[in-house]
Amino acid sequence: MELILTRTLARARALDATAMVWVITAVLLLILIVGPTFFLIKESIFVPDEVGLIEVTGHYGFANFIEVFTNDLYVSPIFWTVIVSVSVGISSVVVGALMAWAVARTDIPFPGMIRTGALLSFVTPPFLGASAWVILAGPREGWLNHVYRWVTGAGPDSYMFDIFTIPGLIFVMGLYVVPLVFIVALSGLNNISSDLEDASNIAGAGTLSTMVSVTLPLVLPALFAGLILASLEAMIIFSTPAMLAIPAGQHVMTTQIRAFMQSDDYQVGLAAAFALPMLIAAIGLIWMRRKALGRRGYATIGGKGARRRPQKLGSYRWLAFALCIAPLGCSLLLPAAALGMTSLMKTYTGGVQLSNLTLDHYYFIFTNDSVSGSIWNTLLLGAMAATAGTLLAGLIAYISQRRLVRGHQFMAFLATVPIAIPGIVLAIGLFAAYTREPVVLYGTLWILFIAYLTKYLPIAFQTSNAALMSIHPELEESARILGANRLAVFAQITVPLFKAGLIASWILIFMPSIRELSSSVLLWTTKTKVVSVVILDFYEEGRLDIVSALGVMLMVITLFVVIIAYRILGRDFMRT
Amino acid sequence: MIKRVLGIALKSGVLLGLATSPAWAGGDLAMAKKEGKVVWYSSISLPIAQQMCNAFNDKKMGFECVLHRSGSGKLYKRWVQEAKSKIFEADILHTSNAGHFLTLQKQGVFIKYAPEGTEKFPAAFKGEGGYWTVLRSFAYVPAYNTTKVKGGDIPTSWLDLLDPKWQGKIVNAHPSYSGSVSVGMSMLVKKFGWEFMDKLSALKPRVVQSAVDTTTYLVRGESDVTSGTASYTLFNAIKKGEKVKMLLPKEGVPFIISPQAIFKSAPHPNAAKIFADWTFSKEAQQILTNRGLYVGHPGVKYPEGQVPLNKLKLMTMSPAEATKMRKKIRTTFRKKFGV
Repeated sequence: MELILTRTLARARALDATAMVWVITAVLLLILIVGPTFFLIKESIFVPDEVGLIEVTGHYGFANFIEVFTNDLYVSPIFWTVIVSVSVGISSVVVGALMAWAVARTDIPFPGMIRTGALLSFVTPPFLGASAWVILAGPREGWLNHVYRWVTGAGPDSYMFDIFTIPGLIFVMGLYVVPLVFIVALSGLNNISSDLEDASNIAGAGTLSTMVSVTLPLVLPALFAGLILASLEAMIIFSTPAMLAIPAGQHVMTTQIRAFMQSDDYQVGLAAAFALPMLIAAIGLIWMRRKALGRRGYATIGGKGARRRPQKLGSYRWLAFALCIAPLGCSLLLPAAALGMTSLMKTYTGGVQLSNLTLDHYYFIFTNDSVSGSIWNTLLLGAMAATAGTLLAGLIAYISQRRLVRGHQFMAFLATVPIAIPGIVLAIGLFAAYTREPVVLYGTLWILFIAYLTKYLPIAFQTSNAALMSIHPELEESARILGANRLAVFAQITVPLFKAGLIASWILIFMPSIRELSSSVLLWTTKTKVVSVVILDFYEEGRLDIVSALGVMLMVITLFVVIIAYRILGRDFMRT
Repeated sequence: MIKRVLGIALKSGVLLGLATSPAWAGGDLAMAKKEGKVVWYSSISLPIAQQMCNAFNDKKMGFECVLHRSGSGKLYKRWVQEAKSKIFEADILHTSNAGHFLTLQKQGVFIKYAPEGTEKFPAAFKGEGGYWTVLRSFAYVPAYNTTKVKGGDIPTSWLDLLDPKWQGKIVNAHPSYSGSVSVGMSMLVKKFGWEFMDKLSALKPRVVQSAVDTTTYLVRGESDVTSGTASYTLFNAIKKGEKVKMLLPKEGVPFIISPQAIFKSAPHPNAAKIFADWTFSKEAQQILTNRGLYVGHPGVKYPEGQVPLNKLKLMTMSPAEATKMRKKIRTTFRKKFGV
């Protein structure tokens, strides 16, 4: 009798757990993905007839799509978005792959330095790079153009670099996408043993022909994945084009979306109609990447793949090093120098002189209420999103890896799918969903929190998943056999082993959250400004001195987090 | 039935209450202290706006000035969006787009209020209907970098700015983001016709988002001339020692007024009135004057180096007309300038 009771209770409890997981998943899906997507689609087919200050009446139809895809004004941003993404994709794959090859496969000097540099430029906010490059390569007063004139003796009107051009835009975007490709390509290369390259060398092929005809085909899937990631990143980024393309008189899709949202007229529908194709393109790209990686290269990857022998570069060693360090110099050292110096200068005219130095701009950002408030908001939001995201991702990874409940695949799906939602598209969806009854989140930090959580959940999930995969269930099983219940096992066995993975997830959400702009730029309100939005505001007001001071502060915080991460987790914390 | 009677009684009671306390009555300090703060949506550049707030807070009135600073267009959009979501945070609106004030006034979102002392202000500083008062004003002026442009090259007319020699060397702000640019360009187009925009766009100007930013481009030497910037930004740059100078074209310069009004939905109505009174006091208006702005207060002293208002030949345009032209200015700009 007692036994039956216990069994029924146990079953009820199991059912309970399943039901609870289902309910939680459903609610989260609804809040994070279904709601925003639904309202995004609804806005895109809502055509306003009469626009009052508060009330807007209209009907449903496809006029927004027709307007967006036939009006030359809006077709041009689409065209240039495609051109820019493809160019950034291809150029950064070439550069990133060569760097990865040099670091993984040759005897290039200081490979660790290149790897660290790539990591640091990967975590540098791209909008800081863009503002720094305005200082460095403005056609008339850019530092590099001054150097050019000084070296060549050219006249005051001639210049070598103009950052306010499409090539300039591609260059700056590429600088911050290259590290992404580098990381992807490096892990692809590390999975392949040197046996085939050795065979090629023994058969008489040189370094170059071995690379082209043996190594390259082997990493092709990884490179393709890198190309897709890079193009996607270039398509969805808002900050760099906002800072460089608009002064050049050119919109891309993201800046046009923001222009729609900022218009005095009611253009939310046009923004949504613009955002949907972006979402579809992003989903398509992610799907292609999965396909490419699904092949997992060729059958050369196995447990024995550890042995690698560097190719000898001979006298080209230092040339290769210079080529690898150049993009990192452009994305890290030069911007840091430009921002650092600008942040300390009293007047632009005064130049770099002792009498022209000041700490006023730093004093200003820490004492001005609205600026320091935004710093606080940013850190708070970063910590909130990172903590919630880590717990959620860890839990989902655990449930789906250990197959604890039926339908665990859906949870894994939920945690992965936001990777295909561009930040600015997510923001329009959240904006459309949560500025109306019954759930008004607009105007609170929560809407930004949801945006960050959704956006970065996939990274955390993948990190947790990878970390959990390396913990064999037998450790947990032995504890269960010895009598511990699931919770105790989780707390005392799994979590301690899983700790590094959790910390890595936390950092991987925190870091991008404190510099998030594409979503924040549409979701901030006066009370909920974040640093990235404040930086953009000051940039658009021409206050490069304050932008620089805020930028230096952001870089220092990021560096600090990276150092802590290194200390706790070791060099490879960004492997996944 | 009882409910209905009660309802009517309540409504008429409210009406009665409104009728007995005149709309122009000032704020009650005791109530303001209870409200605790006043929220100011303001488009003056942050350092100046913050200085105003700080100066007010230093007076320790028992409630605090909370500043939310952004561009004119952004603030307007933000308020409308917040109102749609039924978020009412703003007490006072102050921007450089008088047209927005007209639109909002028609929607009945402002209270009628004449801040203390403004009866002595010139008529140009008072809005029709008594809903708003001009807090500060400035001229939309062309300017140049003195190390780059010299002698005979210095423009003396707006039309000189359209010379092909400025190709790639001129910077222009965007009328969709900046209220003053929208109004300023409207006046120029009215005077010189739409070909003014055609010829300007043919120079492929650098396009920036705010009238303030054009000064930065001049200061950095990234551009030689600007077809329009806020005179007070220029004044401050010159005071700092930057090598830029104001141009005074013979045709005159657009005069941009920046009104201020109190929302009906203000969550801190008494604090709002007391703060508004203070912003029009001699003390506050002098702060603005010292920063290169022009104000309506007759008692202020203009700083050294400031071009007196009576030396400027002013072009003006009624907010109603500017509002009418706004849309066409923006769409034409978008077509001609690409963004």
